[in-house]
Amino acid sequence: MIMDEFTPLDCLLPTGTQKICLIILNQPLEKDSLHTLWSKALLRACADGAANHLYDITAGQQDSFLPDYISGDFDSITAEVKAFYTEKKCRLIETADQELTDFTKCLAIMVEEIKRQQLQVDTIVTLGGLAGRFDQTMASVETLYHALNMTELPLVVLQGCSLAYLLRPDMRHRLGVNTGLEGEWCSLIPIGGPCKTHTTGLKWNLENQVLQFGKLVSTSNTYEPVAQGDQRKPVTVTTDQPLLWSMGICRDRK
Amino acid sequence: MEGEGQRGYLVSCITDLHSTEMSCTQKICLIILNQPLEKDSLHTLWSKDLGAGYQVSILNCPADGPSEVDDLRLVGFQNIHTWPFARSLSLSVALLRACADGAANHLYDITAGQQDSFLPDYISGDFDSITAEVKAFYTEKKCRLIETADQELTDFTKCLAIMVEEIKRQQLQVDTIVTLGGLAGRFDQTMASVETLYHALNMTELPLVVLQGCSLAYLLRPDMRHRLGVNTGLEGEWCSLIPIGGPCKTHTTGLKWNLENQVLQFGKLVSTSNTYEPVAQGDQRKPVTVTTDQPLLWSMGICRDRK
Repeated sequence: MIMDEFTPLDCLLPTGTQKICLIILNQPLEKDSLHTLWSKALLRACADGAANHLYDITAGQQDSFLPDYISGDFDSITAEVKAFYTEKKCRLIETADQELTDFTKCLAIMVEEIKRQQLQVDTIVTLGGLAGRFDQTMASVETLYHALNMTELPLVVLQGCSLAYLLRPDMRHRLGVNTGLEGEWCSLIPIGGPCKTHTTGLKWNLENQVLQFGKLVSTSNTYEPVAQGDQRKPVTVTTDQPLLWSMGICRDRK
Repeated sequence: MEGEGQRGYLVSCITDLHSTEMSCTQKICLIILNQPLEKDSLHTLWSKDLGAGYQVSILNCPADGPSEVDDLRLVGFQNIHTWPFARSLSLSVALLRACADGAANHLYDITAGQQDSFLPDYISGDFDSITAEVKAFYTEKKCRLIETADQELTDFTKCLAIMVEEIKRQQLQVDTIVTLGGLAGRFDQTMASVETLYHALNMTELPLVVLQGCSLAYLLRPDMRHRLGVNTGLEGEWCSLIPIGGPCKTHTTGLKWNLENQVLQFGKLVSTSNTYEPVAQGDQRKPVTVTTDQPLLWSMGICRDRK
């Protein structure tokens, strides 16, 4: 079975090694996360109203935070913000397709750009998408599903103290959880349907058990305890269907 | 005359085909979860005992103008406001109120100055979130504190189990169990709330709705024709059908984008940013009807600036 090694929170480590591209969604932004991710990112994009949040949170230094493009149907971006970034020569890409969300469309353009510019990228990181309107949070998860067919690259979504990452089926995932930014909790959520799951490295592991809403969902899980000063073991996960990994982020780095 | 100050809040009337009358008197039980509370929603859902001599009224359908206007006294937080009502009047009474663990902290804070008027019937959980101060306060006020150490089930599920038992024990006539909180904060806990909605299908016949911020979530049972009233005036712009547990063969009417016996499934088709079938200006929206062969999550926006 193919093994995939991945450290979900490497992207938030200033000393992390992943080369990332950044998508910003229409949600309030955390300044620290934005600055860390922005500085590492090879490409940066806003989905529609995300540009409003970017504009506000970079007040006084917007010139240092110009996205490569802003895409969407432009029903959320304000006229003022749109004019500002247009004048700064950011690409504005109107995507009128009503079937797909702004997030999915923004991701499609990102994937194309990465290919076009032949960039070496490890991870596509998204800020926002896990809070606000409940249907839009679920739509973000749907985009994670679509992403499995759009790109080989891992797509992680971060907002507040939560990270979400959809695990591909039929690979042995090996997740590094020693950045020091991991919060207390982690979880495996069978959002699309039942997942036959096997794990190691968790406090409550799954032994080829089926995760399924109504029967068994792993929430408020945590990492296998280790001796004081020792590194945590990686978390390994195999699943026969796409399975959502979600973990806490604790920015008070230990 | 428009009411001022506190706004009424009402869970949409929920009926199934077997009930031919719209239920306009909602008797609810209230569960509060460990999330920041909206004061308006809390006060409206908490309400006062009818025995106090006041009628507590919650906003309902504006209908076709105030053909029968009753000024009723709405017991507000600090003032008494008058509120005109149209023909279909709705009374919402919380018969029982409970906090799940740290929810008690939020309740204590948001009712500062009048905690005595907002004493829950019980606080349950493993008590790892409630502060010592808050726990002592409610203990001293004789609220029941029920420690539930079961690590397999969440505080929400355990709180619900106790609620269901109490409703039975007291033989209460209840229409809906309403939960405040559960849809924001830690992502795994939001998903755990959805899991509780699944468990609830086997724990009680009563509908369980979860509200936080501008979102409501309600898990639709399979193999029934659901008829959702969406004319309270509190509905936001959006609604959605989310096949969280697995594929759902779905049929709807009353939506802008209906499903015609189509399968909703993550990775293939999920209905988000949907909305209601447009109607002529001044007309009532048609009810939304939904059938599904598996439990299907209905989620809708709440807009508290009543139109």
